[in-house]
Amino acid sequence: MALIGQDISPPDLRAKITGRAKYAEDFRADGMVFAKLLASPMPHCRVIRIDASAALAMEGVVGILTADEVPQSEGGEQCLTNHPLYEGEAILAVAAVSETIAADAIERIRVDFEPLPFILNPLDGVRPGSPDGRPEGNTQVARDWVSIKWTEEDFANAPEGSMPMPEGEGKFDTEWMVGDVAAGFAEADLILDETIVHQSVTHHPMEPRSAMAYWQNGKLYIHTSTQSLVRTQQALANQLDLELDDVVMIGEFCGGGFGSKISGSIIQQVPALFSRKINRPVMLRITRAEENYLGRARPGMQARVRIGFRADGRITAIDLAALGDGGPYARGDQNGGANTASLTYTPPNMRFRGLGVRTNTPPKAAQRGPGGAQIIGMLEPLMDKAARELGLDRLGLRRLNAPDANVAYGPNGSTLTSVFVKEAIDKGRDLFEWDERIARSGQMNGSKRTGIGVGVSPFAAGSRGFDGLLVIRTDGKLQVQQGLGNLGTHSIADTARAAADVLGLEWDDVEVVWGDTSRHLPWSSVQAGSQTTHAHTRANHAAGLDAKEKLQSIAAMDLGGRPEDYETSAGRVYRRSNPSQGMTLSRAATRAIELGGRYSGYELNEDLNAMTTASATALAGQGLVAAARDNFGGEGGLQSWVVGFAEVELDTETGKVDVVHYTAITDCGVVVHPRNLGAQIYGGSFQGMGIAMSQKWVFDPVWGVSFAKRLYTARPPGILDVPMDVQWAAVEIPDPQSPVGAKGIGEPCVGAGSAALTSAIADALEGKCLCRTPLTADVLLAEIEGRVPAYGPLDLHV
Amino acid sequence: MSDVEIIGTPERTVTRRKFIMGVIAAGATTSSVGYLFQGPQPLLGALAVQGSVERLITLNVNGQQRRVDVMNQETLAFTLRYKLGLTGTKLGCDRAECGACTVLIDGVPSYACSALTHSVRTSQITTIEGLEDSDGTLHPVQQAVLDEGGFQCAFCAPGFIMSMVAMVESNPNPTREEAAQALSGNLCRCADYNKILTSAMRAAEYSRLQA
Amino acid sequence: MAVIRDMIPAFELFQPTSADGAIELLIRYGEDGWVLGGGMDSFDWWKERIKRPTAVVDLANVDELKGVRVTADGVEIGAMTTLTEIATHPELLANYGVLTDAASHIATPQIRNRGTIAGNLVQDTRCWYYRGGWPCYRAGGNTCYASAPTAMNREHAIMGTSRCVAVSPSDSASALIVLDAQFVIQSARGDRVVDAEDFFMRPSVDIERMTVLKPGELLTAIRIPSTWAGATFYYEKVEDRKSWDFALMSVASAMRISGGVIQDLRMAANGAAPFPVRLEDSEAILRGQSPSDQLGLQAGEAAVRNAQPLRHNDYKIPLMRNLVRRAVRGTEV
Repeated sequence: MALIGQDISPPDLRAKITGRAKYAEDFRADGMVFAKLLASPMPHCRVIRIDASAALAMEGVVGILTADEVPQSEGGEQCLTNHPLYEGEAILAVAAVSETIAADAIERIRVDFEPLPFILNPLDGVRPGSPDGRPEGNTQVARDWVSIKWTEEDFANAPEGSMPMPEGEGKFDTEWMVGDVAAGFAEADLILDETIVHQSVTHHPMEPRSAMAYWQNGKLYIHTSTQSLVRTQQALANQLDLELDDVVMIGEFCGGGFGSKISGSIIQQVPALFSRKINRPVMLRITRAEENYLGRARPGMQARVRIGFRADGRITAIDLAALGDGGPYARGDQNGGANTASLTYTPPNMRFRGLGVRTNTPPKAAQRGPGGAQIIGMLEPLMDKAARELGLDRLGLRRLNAPDANVAYGPNGSTLTSVFVKEAIDKGRDLFEWDERIARSGQMNGSKRTGIGVGVSPFAAGSRGFDGLLVIRTDGKLQVQQGLGNLGTHSIADTARAAADVLGLEWDDVEVVWGDTSRHLPWSSVQAGSQTTHAHTRANHAAGLDAKEKLQSIAAMDLGGRPEDYETSAGRVYRRSNPSQGMTLSRAATRAIELGGRYSGYELNEDLNAMTTASATALAGQGLVAAARDNFGGEGGLQSWVVGFAEVELDTETGKVDVVHYTAITDCGVVVHPRNLGAQIYGGSFQGMGIAMSQKWVFDPVWGVSFAKRLYTARPPGILDVPMDVQWAAVEIPDPQSPVGAKGIGEPCVGAGSAALTSAIADALEGKCLCRTPLTADVLLAEIEGRVPAYGPLDLHV
Repeated sequence: MSDVEIIGTPERTVTRRKFIMGVIAAGATTSSVGYLFQGPQPLLGALAVQGSVERLITLNVNGQQRRVDVMNQETLAFTLRYKLGLTGTKLGCDRAECGACTVLIDGVPSYACSALTHSVRTSQITTIEGLEDSDGTLHPVQQAVLDEGGFQCAFCAPGFIMSMVAMVESNPNPTREEAAQALSGNLCRCADYNKILTSAMRAAEYSRLQA
Repeated sequence: MAVIRDMIPAFELFQPTSADGAIELLIRYGEDGWVLGGGMDSFDWWKERIKRPTAVVDLANVDELKGVRVTADGVEIGAMTTLTEIATHPELLANYGVLTDAASHIATPQIRNRGTIAGNLVQDTRCWYYRGGWPCYRAGGNTCYASAPTAMNREHAIMGTSRCVAVSPSDSASALIVLDAQFVIQSARGDRVVDAEDFFMRPSVDIERMTVLKPGELLTAIRIPSTWAGATFYYEKVEDRKSWDFALMSVASAMRISGGVIQDLRMAANGAAPFPVRLEDSEAILRGQSPSDQLGLQAGEAAVRNAQPLRHNDYKIPLMRNLVRRAVRGTEV
């Protein structure tokens, strides 16, 4: 029976639940010292003077690392800087024999700053006369820094409480149009015009991004927390100008990333550089508050959207203008979000204008479903609003506007390999019992009002062209080399099944090697964009086919006949017409070693990535070595879908929301690991619910400092905050352009959870869309009671 | 070449001194202590104390008597992780806000980051490493998690498992809602709560069977 | 000098075995001393390196302060009794349910397992300006950051303010007020007893303290009279999340109802003011009346009559009003 499709406990689980699994901060080395960071107390400043003499005179302090000693980045982020662009940015590091002494030492350093003007949210950053978040400007167009400001007139023209939507040149950094939005609005029977606000959200993975590094014989050994292993090794080697072979990266377990550790984190350079400087192993333990600062956050947005609908609910035009909170170094998610809107609603006419404003708030990075989760969470309740005003079924309106397989979306007419969202919607209508539940919409149960919601959410789900690398050992086991990171998605083990299935092996005969770059790992994707499941089932499938071909060839050589006469399964390669005629994989591996050449890794395909070639070469002679690139090709991109359905009860006396039920249906192609798929769907959905309902990101606007920096002030959902009555299902139609047919799942679920809630809460508010997140009790109660709103319609970071 | 004057490191030469002194004289600077906060006033007394007392104590951890030097202000989490080689107990926040450091103190689930080691030196401490038998047989709670495939990144797993161990002792037949209450002091950012609860229910089942 | 928010600074550590011994140490060290109960408040200040005692007096071994004792006329709870012990104690569950309700909603199981009742009562406010070490009035400075027109103050006070707008964070305080508890404070001069309501400091009196405890004093016991044993209780806490969080607002009440009439009652709220608020105006409306939703609404409106919202906390007015209304309705959520 194929391994793909079964529930199999991940091979690393035993280590995790016995405390044996070591994450970055669990490693120790002889003579290890501890580094602590000195961070900027201000949102924007320049360091004028550093007096570290008292610190360096302390017993137990072994050194200091300053910004001039780290890789310099013109205008980009450095691990240490003398020009902090956000409160909490690291300026220098001190190392001491204990963390206590290092902390005491930080306090004895005197730093003199020149405070500089700062900007905390995008809209403030485009007001006439406002300062820029950076000295170079407030955004980049192509590679040029510019300072884009809107005029007094632009602001005056905006209706009260609306975001301005200025026309003309130079108001945005990105603009595209498909079709003719004016014509589209002209034929609309209903036009919605809404201002929407989405908060920035810190990733806050459970494991802070600590790192420990030391040098030995000219090589850097670094224990780090990263989503992607070999790609992080590559990135760090590039950053530090080292040969790849001189960086040994150990990252067997990563305690969560969600996009904030795609290539590790820039701060990991500190222990790497520091340990070289002082010739001692250096542990940099990152605290939770530091996670709030240098740990990345999802970019928030302030946006205005106009959507035109025909009387039957078909969207005729979308005009979206979005300001993204780019932090100091990025441009925000709005461009991706616009593409997601184009895909989800297939407007024949769409204009998007985006401006990523640099702000003096912690750096932004992709967070699980970047752009898409925000846009879907914000726009789905507007679909409900239109349906109500047009007297249509809300779910039917989604289906009407949903894409088919032949969709062309975004500014460039992007296409996809498969789309089965309508099937997912239909399946969800059934499983969620939409028609029965919608009849309860608005019903009171004491002081609680029922709300029903739905969120249709796609996200990127695959890539191509990576390498698989296998060894069939003389003990008969299949050793699958994985260059992936182990961040909790279990794709390390799940994608290895593709190779095992080609060969017809049991899982007990498979051993996955990962987590340490000195173990000869293949070139792989980054663990981001939910691409790994797709990319590496393909890559491992390719390597599996390569192994099979070699087994068949060896069998034919030794036992007669042609290679295609032979089959593999149950640990043997045998003649199809006479199964007793065959050999064990163990024997075949021994033969491969004897034969050498292409059978045992001495001759390799030329299209392999250089890293794979080097790794395969290092493994040569250990058994039957198979290495192949995913050349299966394909037309179009990959997207998976999750449709989330929620029933909530809103207590009209307190503003509290209970999520009574949640159903999620996915189109993600072939299901590789059902139990894990369910966990990913729920995990992402619950994260989305946290974004919709509780997670805060708060800045004092006068001082520019962060308040919701610890876990309890940031309010990520706990076990009591997420629904207990949940179910999921998959459409399970294979993606036709992949031999394994599986697409990724990690990201579309976030938008689904978030939107299901924003949609349900609006329903419980009798159709009122508040168009902001998070929808906390204070916001909802103020609305219910008709009081002064807790926040202004454009207030962000509150 | 840096235009920041850095004092105190031997290899530094003072650069652009005139410019910097000029800037300072113009009063355009704010020292790090001036912005918002009262700077910490490190007491001379405190520094003198810090160099002194490292008390050698015997701590009962996982059934073993462990001799260890413990500073007055040292938390149990720190002692376990940095002095006793028991890194299974994780530091997720060090502020009693996540539960990753949950251990059992006399069988009671507690945040190890929020107990001074000296405060608990007469207690029996149980960590994740102390659950399995000496022959490697997993604790029923661990076996249940393994069988249900609980956890994703699993950084929160040791803390959750310790809470589950306490739960099955005090409430052998919980409802799913009761299990959630028992686990409400453990945060999971992967939000694997559904599967964690299923694991907890199976943990209760296995524990009942074993009892 | 530079700021770092990690690693507890060193201190002398004492572990007395008696309340007398603890008090002696507190007197010796004065303002440089610090009482350590469960530590759930203390560790936060120390790890942020904002408060740095020279000497910590750890009460972990003071057994005389632990435990719940049923007495002739009520219950006496030792200061060092954990919140879990209180939340699960059979006598308290049977007769003083408002306290067990309040206790069981505090934070998380792990925090309740080590957190003490005294700690919950004397804990410092959670205003994030003050907690961040900002030099405000409460910290000995001369301004309040949280009441500025642009400040982030959704969790701050709507009444009882006087230059300081922080709220009392204690979930158990309002429960003990409605039980008419008394707090026993020990010092070198012996014991003094303070009514629960009077234990909490008004900022107009002393803006730097949350309670009336003076240096050298130790809260040793809470005495709950049997007056309200078995009464009709109500407790509701509204918080952003269902664990960890402090109350946005909570209301506790104890009522004696007979013949369909509220013979007597006590009602208190937390999250409204820098101290837990006894809702005397609401009580006056309800006392001697038959409970009805209309009456509950009136009582609710009375509770918030003089509320003065800040920029972001206006919602607390209807929230407080509604919780008082629900207390009368007897709706348990």
